[in-house]
Amino acid sequence: MRKYITKRLIMLVPVLLGVSIIVFAVMRAFTADPAASILGQHATSAQIAELRNKLGLNDPIYVQYWNYFKGMIRGDLGTSLFTQTKVTDELLGRFPATAELAISAIIFASIFGVLVGVISAVKKNTALDYAGMFGALIGVSIPIFWLGIMLIILFGVILGWLPVSGRLDILMTPPKITGFLLIDTLITGNIDMFFDALAHLVLPTVALGMYSTAIIARMTRSSVLETLQQDYIRTAWAKGLAEKAVVIRHALRNALIPVATVIGLQLGSLLGGAVLTETVFAWPGIGKYTVDAITKSDYPVVQGAVLLVAFIFVTVNLVVDVLYAFLDPRIKYS
Amino acid sequence: MRGLRIIAILCAFAVLAGCSGQGAGTSSRSDTFIYAQGADPRGLDPAFVDDGESAMVMANVYEGLTKYNDKTTAIEPSLATSWDVSADGLTYVFQLRQGVKFHDGSPFNAEAAKASIDRQLPPNDTSNMPYAEFTFGYVKSIEATSEYVLTIYLTQPCTPFLANLAMTLAAPIASPTAIGKSATGNLNENPVGTGPYKFVSWEKGVSVKITRNDDYWGEKAKIKNVTYQIIPENSSRSAAMMAKTIDAMSGLDAPDVAAVRDSGAQIFEADGMNINYMAFNVTREPFNDPKLREAVIRAINVEELVSSLYLGYSMTAYSVLPTFMPGYAPSVKPFAYDPEASKALLKEIGKEGLAIDIITYSNPRPYNSATGTKLAEAIQGYLAQVGITASITQYDWADYKGKVAQGEGDICFYGWIGDNGDPDNFMNLLDDKDRSMNVSGYNNPEYHDLILEAVSAPNGDARNALYGEMEAIVARDGVWLPISHARSMAAYGANVSNFFIHPTGSIFFSQITKS
Repeated sequence: MRKYITKRLIMLVPVLLGVSIIVFAVMRAFTADPAASILGQHATSAQIAELRNKLGLNDPIYVQYWNYFKGMIRGDLGTSLFTQTKVTDELLGRFPATAELAISAIIFASIFGVLVGVISAVKKNTALDYAGMFGALIGVSIPIFWLGIMLIILFGVILGWLPVSGRLDILMTPPKITGFLLIDTLITGNIDMFFDALAHLVLPTVALGMYSTAIIARMTRSSVLETLQQDYIRTAWAKGLAEKAVVIRHALRNALIPVATVIGLQLGSLLGGAVLTETVFAWPGIGKYTVDAITKSDYPVVQGAVLLVAFIFVTVNLVVDVLYAFLDPRIKYS
Repeated sequence: MRGLRIIAILCAFAVLAGCSGQGAGTSSRSDTFIYAQGADPRGLDPAFVDDGESAMVMANVYEGLTKYNDKTTAIEPSLATSWDVSADGLTYVFQLRQGVKFHDGSPFNAEAAKASIDRQLPPNDTSNMPYAEFTFGYVKSIEATSEYVLTIYLTQPCTPFLANLAMTLAAPIASPTAIGKSATGNLNENPVGTGPYKFVSWEKGVSVKITRNDDYWGEKAKIKNVTYQIIPENSSRSAAMMAKTIDAMSGLDAPDVAAVRDSGAQIFEADGMNINYMAFNVTREPFNDPKLREAVIRAINVEELVSSLYLGYSMTAYSVLPTFMPGYAPSVKPFAYDPEASKALLKEIGKEGLAIDIITYSNPRPYNSATGTKLAEAIQGYLAQVGITASITQYDWADYKGKVAQGEGDICFYGWIGDNGDPDNFMNLLDDKDRSMNVSGYNNPEYHDLILEAVSAPNGDARNALYGEMEAIVARDGVWLPISHARSMAAYGANVSNFFIHPTGSIFFSQITKS
């Protein structure tokens, strides 16, 4: 197992290198000139040309990449062309917000997705099954942006139960330890702030988790149905085991292996930043930050963000693969 | 069953937390004004930024040598108490306010003012200072004549110079101690000025907080704290306004106005200092012919177009200058809408069935909320009615600026947001040598002479008349078709008084009260 993990970690290097080259080239080939955007409405052609020169954008692309590469291997992802702030600091500052929301959404999605999926499978072709799968259909088709606004209007404006935007009441100053507000507020024993952060997490979690919930529910249903056809399940029934024991102890554990893959993939993409959710709920994560950088052609920010997302995606997949071995002892890595 | 129990516990948590969340911040809400805007400032060093979000914060933290009147763009003393301008208009001697301290305790004096401006003059300036050239382009040198006397020498007379010094970009005077700390300006993250508010914190993507400067030399701010909350999406900002979690917001969309007003909020509306226009490429066929330009202008019903595209939240523009600016000439109007006259003109010059290329931008702009594409499509419809076939090519804004600068297209759409409240800032666009400013490529010696005369003429009726003359020339030559002036729109709470968006776009929070 250790050998396998080491091998996978080593594989990370060419993946990240490839990603960095592709994003570097794509940004320069297909996006507008950042110099014009930096200088604003007064920019003359001469000033734009001068700034391009200063930023090194007139150098051959391999020279530009080499300069970037030298920084990258030292962990320096460069400086934002617009705000002149360090990309590494900006990304690390924002990542905990994205991660907290993604983890919360995946927990929400896993609990409700598996629950709905199992109920639908066990009660196959009943009203419960139809309701569950109809809900899942809605979940995959509903636009997150619209859902977010509707949740805000219903629970934030009309009922006034939950806050409408941000991670915390704007007048509170959060403790800064890990960047994960739920953890930091608990560590510092600030219960008021903990509940406030939790309240702020509810609506974005539902909006972001809805799609994943639906996917997980569908996957769970078909996987459980397939498992329930297996011989060992028939044996379990024949042994006279209770339904609960058959479904949960025998069927579900095996059915969850493909579900774990889906959960892993979903988590990977959620950690990449949920642009729409972050935008609607004013959630200060990396998604919105990266998209803004793309529209402004802020090369270093986009490059850094894509590298970070690629790293996370590969790592999460590795973790899921390792988890397989625990879920299914038949799986061995070498 | 266990699943249901988990759901019940989660729901209980959510409700509990909701109650707690609402209660937690209310205690200090009374002395804090929460203003929601769509984006983080780009930075907080006036030398390095050009965006409205940065200006919104800096206008309350920094001050310039001069300032605008609270409600108009008239110039008043600020850190300079008075000034003398030499007869040739080349030397400005400023008497500086005494006893003023920066927020970091450094004294304000002539050396401090000189340091703040000097870094934006050659050879100290850098190419990423967006407003240095515009604001200080005419400055030859600057001298700290005595502790409280500052002398600025210009290369040529420039009447808008005093207005430039009142701007929130480039002009504000920053603490020399803070400037000295970092070459790239650590001011960008930690601004230090002399204004009525002091910087407290900036959490990226979340908020910028400032608090009252109790040592302020002038009238102290009425509200103790101001928090700029970053809420990127307009609808979410409106929802926050309706939920009363914020005190005011920028960027109110026209369709949201009724709901926000119904929630009890007040709506602020004022004429904006901007122009949204259509420009002909006059440097080549076919629009180097003024008669063809007249024919096209006569084919377009601008009033109808503006009311249908902007739902009453933009005013029809009749001239280049916004109506409240000095120099605006109410008598100047573009060629009137008259499709029959347009057809007759096209026939006269043999351009019936003409095909032209329109280029436009695909996104909304501050002066055109409907997007350049919608505007171009509306114009295309009018032109079709007089037999002109227009093809539209659209680009995203950054690409579009490049295309316009290269003179692509027969007709393009553009706009301008006023910087300093001086008419030269608008009218000079049509005389600029750079195509990215003068998008029509207009070149008229008569107009050029008027620009030169007016830029050095003292403020007053005679100068305003010169700008009126220029507006008449633009209308006569049909270089631009002025479309609209977007109105400033914002919402603020029922308990808020003295909320005002200055024509330059800034909000001076020190005047605002909250009951």
